[in-house]
Amino acid sequence: MKSLRRFFNRVVNVVTRRAQEERLREEIEEHIALQTAENLRAGLSPGEARRQAMLKFGGVEALKQDYRAERGLLLIENLLADLRTATRTISRMPGLAAVIIVSLAIGIGVNTTIFSWIQLILFEPMPAVSGAANFLLVEPRREMGGYPGASWLEYRDLQTQIPALHDIVASQMVPFNVGERGQTERTHGQLVSGNYFSALDLKPAIGRFIRPEEAERPGTEPVVVISYDYWQTRFRGAPEAVGQKLRVNDSDLIVIGVAPREFQGTMIPLKFELWVPATMGPALLGRALYLEDRSSRGFSLIGMLSPGATREEAQAEFSTAMAQLARDYPEASAGISAEIHPFWKTPRGPQRWLISGLAILQGVMLLLQLAVCGNTANLMLARGSTRQREMAVRVALGAGRWRIVSLVLSENMLLAFLGAGLGAALAVWGTTALRLAPMIGAFPILFPTRVDAFTLAFAMLLGVGCGLIFSAPPAVHLARLDPQEGLRSSSNTSPRSRARKVLMGVEVGLAMVVLIAAALFLESFRSARQTDPRFRPEGVLLAAYDLSGRNPDEASEREFAARLLERLRSLPDVEAAAIATNVPLDLHGIEARPFTVQGRVRTEPGQDRAISNTVTPGYFKVMAIPLLEGNDFADMRDKAAPAQAIVNEEFVRRYLDGANAIGRRIQTRAGSFLIIGVARNSVYDAFGEPVQPAVYFSYRDISEDQGEIHLRTRSGNETALAAEARAVLRDLDPMLPLYDVRTFSQHIERNLYLRRIPARMFAVLGPLLLGLAAIGIYAVVSYAVTRRTREIGLRLAFGATSRRVVLQIIRENLGAIAWGMAIGWVLALLISVRAITKGPVNLPVFIGVPALLLSVATLACWIPARRASRIDPMAALRHE
Amino acid sequence: MKQKTDVLQGTLALMVLKTLDVLGPLHGYGIARRIEQISGDLLAVNQGTLYPVLLKLEQEGAIASEWGASENNRRARFYRLTRQGRKQLRTETQDWEQTAAIIGRFFDAKAEDLS
Repeated sequence: MKSLRRFFNRVVNVVTRRAQEERLREEIEEHIALQTAENLRAGLSPGEARRQAMLKFGGVEALKQDYRAERGLLLIENLLADLRTATRTISRMPGLAAVIIVSLAIGIGVNTTIFSWIQLILFEPMPAVSGAANFLLVEPRREMGGYPGASWLEYRDLQTQIPALHDIVASQMVPFNVGERGQTERTHGQLVSGNYFSALDLKPAIGRFIRPEEAERPGTEPVVVISYDYWQTRFRGAPEAVGQKLRVNDSDLIVIGVAPREFQGTMIPLKFELWVPATMGPALLGRALYLEDRSSRGFSLIGMLSPGATREEAQAEFSTAMAQLARDYPEASAGISAEIHPFWKTPRGPQRWLISGLAILQGVMLLLQLAVCGNTANLMLARGSTRQREMAVRVALGAGRWRIVSLVLSENMLLAFLGAGLGAALAVWGTTALRLAPMIGAFPILFPTRVDAFTLAFAMLLGVGCGLIFSAPPAVHLARLDPQEGLRSSSNTSPRSRARKVLMGVEVGLAMVVLIAAALFLESFRSARQTDPRFRPEGVLLAAYDLSGRNPDEASEREFAARLLERLRSLPDVEAAAIATNVPLDLHGIEARPFTVQGRVRTEPGQDRAISNTVTPGYFKVMAIPLLEGNDFADMRDKAAPAQAIVNEEFVRRYLDGANAIGRRIQTRAGSFLIIGVARNSVYDAFGEPVQPAVYFSYRDISEDQGEIHLRTRSGNETALAAEARAVLRDLDPMLPLYDVRTFSQHIERNLYLRRIPARMFAVLGPLLLGLAAIGIYAVVSYAVTRRTREIGLRLAFGATSRRVVLQIIRENLGAIAWGMAIGWVLALLISVRAITKGPVNLPVFIGVPALLLSVATLACWIPARRASRIDPMAALRHE
Repeated sequence: MKQKTDVLQGTLALMVLKTLDVLGPLHGYGIARRIEQISGDLLAVNQGTLYPVLLKLEQEGAIASEWGASENNRRARFYRLTRQGRKQLRTETQDWEQTAAIIGRFFDAKAEDLS
């Protein structure tokens, strides 16, 4: 209490400093006056009386110091004084300050933006759900690979068999067709267990959530919870939405509540709009056995640890439970093991690649930030050394080492904080832009990133870290200064010029690595872009349909596809039409499936695999892929022909030793297929990929409930076909929406767009680093030149030409630069050979980039050198 | 070194409080004189050290100060004990006496008493 009061008074005193000092002065004066009067009365002479009084009083300055220390917060006062000085110093060098602040801000901004994504995935993987990061993923795993999810019955069993996890939640992503007949819309939702909302501890925006008993018996409770956005856009946020009917997959569901605003489901970044009890699945999806069939997997399970339980216990219990299930239900659960993962470590889905990509990105950007720090340290060293004299005066007047360090530190910290502030602003802009950027694709994706207190703290921490890093060299340098030497002359060479040169070399090396990587990426991207995909995407329209909600059997799926194709082919503008399960150059890639082929014995371990796509007859015509041997698939309604397959040239070369393929048999999990044709190789996953073996199967043999319609236009205007295709589908089934309609060119652009991100990133980073390196070199050289003004003047006075002087300065500095460049070049070469091209070295890049860097470096040396060589020798000699 | 000043400051603060308690409001010089008279050479030199102590006590709320006129009719700062200061003086006097008594007994004790 006492100390609190004292502290408060001290704070007040900091503000009222002047009045306080005045009071002390007056008190001292009065004290001495009284003592003098006393001494006079004792018979001393007036002069002696005052002298004795002052002696008795003691050292006034020391007292003032004590008094001040007692009175206020010395630390804060000093800090304020330092900050005032720092502000003045910085405002005297606006250009330099701007360069430093902006370069810091860019680095901090980018880092903070990336961090906000990582933070989202690691710490807030379910917006609106508090403590979401504590959830664990409960994943059954196929021994052959892959995570199939759990079946409903398995989920019910596991709920009681893993006591280490309480309240396990099951959910499954399902596309719904919402709306009245003829105007349905594809909307993504989740089938959920009854405890879904209670386990996530959510409060409805309005209405109520699904009750546990509503997910007990199949098909009894036709209820749905809608997302906040859906409520706003479809029901205009009206409270009457609760209780209304929503037409989903041709059944009526009653809206019972609205989820909280931010909530978007349990599979970030996917954004769901509807949540329906899992027990509604059979009614909505028409999969009758779906709740009773143990091999009907697909539910994702998440759960939180029970109090006191550990992840190891949960893992052990889960393994035991799965082993028991495998014994009880061998046909459905044999060969399935158990894995528990932290929530961010999803073994599937978009998060899997996202988190590692982001981590790499963050690493690279932090390296860049380090380069910025090095640069700033260089600039500050250069500037700090010209202030040697000022600092020497301060030391001579009694400033402690710590005061000098604190002065330098406060200057740099001010710069760092300004940079961090601007960087945070950039990050706010960046995350908003990313949030609003349209995410294209078949799935609704939303990254709800934002800059919050945590991210801001990260930005500030980064700022402080950078500030400390680039303050250290100049602070140490200045604090070590001997005042006498500092005052004597400024023409001595700095003892730390070697450190500066090393920093410069490192920066140039970094710039070299990134520039070469950027050039390689852009180069490979450009060349890939010009590669012929070996099919003809121009003039083709793509659109998807999905029968999964219609309860189709194989015959009706086949019949639907056949009728759809007949109707589409009868359109006047359609030259050819086909359906396929996969579209080449898709972001998600096309799965390569294992198979065995007749007449081949595999010698090495593992399985033969080939890209596999199931297509209808006419596919090769639409894609303009020529069949080199054999024929197209048999007609969809042909019941006589055996199961067929068409392979590509690479398949024949790799697996059949180039021998005659036609007539051979392929065995896959789906059955045995007769090879009836050989198609030309084409591009499947990405431009520039190595040639891959591929197998095409026929829709006639393997029926699928969803497909991508491919339409080749006659007139060349494929976009005009969209409306007609929609009408055809509506005619066939009014409840079925056509979705993801796009031209093939758009499809390619969209997928390239995402693949282009790293290339773009390097394209931005490269020039940035080049600029930074140039600034760094300029700083070092211009500082060195200023320090040597007298020497240069002397040389000029003795008859050296300015040309010679310039050349000499450049030569001296290019040494360190050359070292950095050489090391960077070798590093880049190693990275390129090992990771990027894995092929022959791209000579133009590996010669061009160093040449560019060298010329920029030379220019950065030349500018200050030339300025130095132009000085008047007389003026230079008088300098200092 | 530091320790010694702290002890001095502590005792000085107690002396200031006691002086003000006995003599009523006084200015700095008056306090210094009084302490000097009683304690001898503790304040014979460096009378100035009194002022940080006064400030500390004032900031703690044990004493209060206001401007007044001194004997030679000049402006002087007069210090007086506050109620809290009186309380503090009481407890500190007790503490001090207790400590002194213990130390005293300790010094009086002979070897045979301790064994």
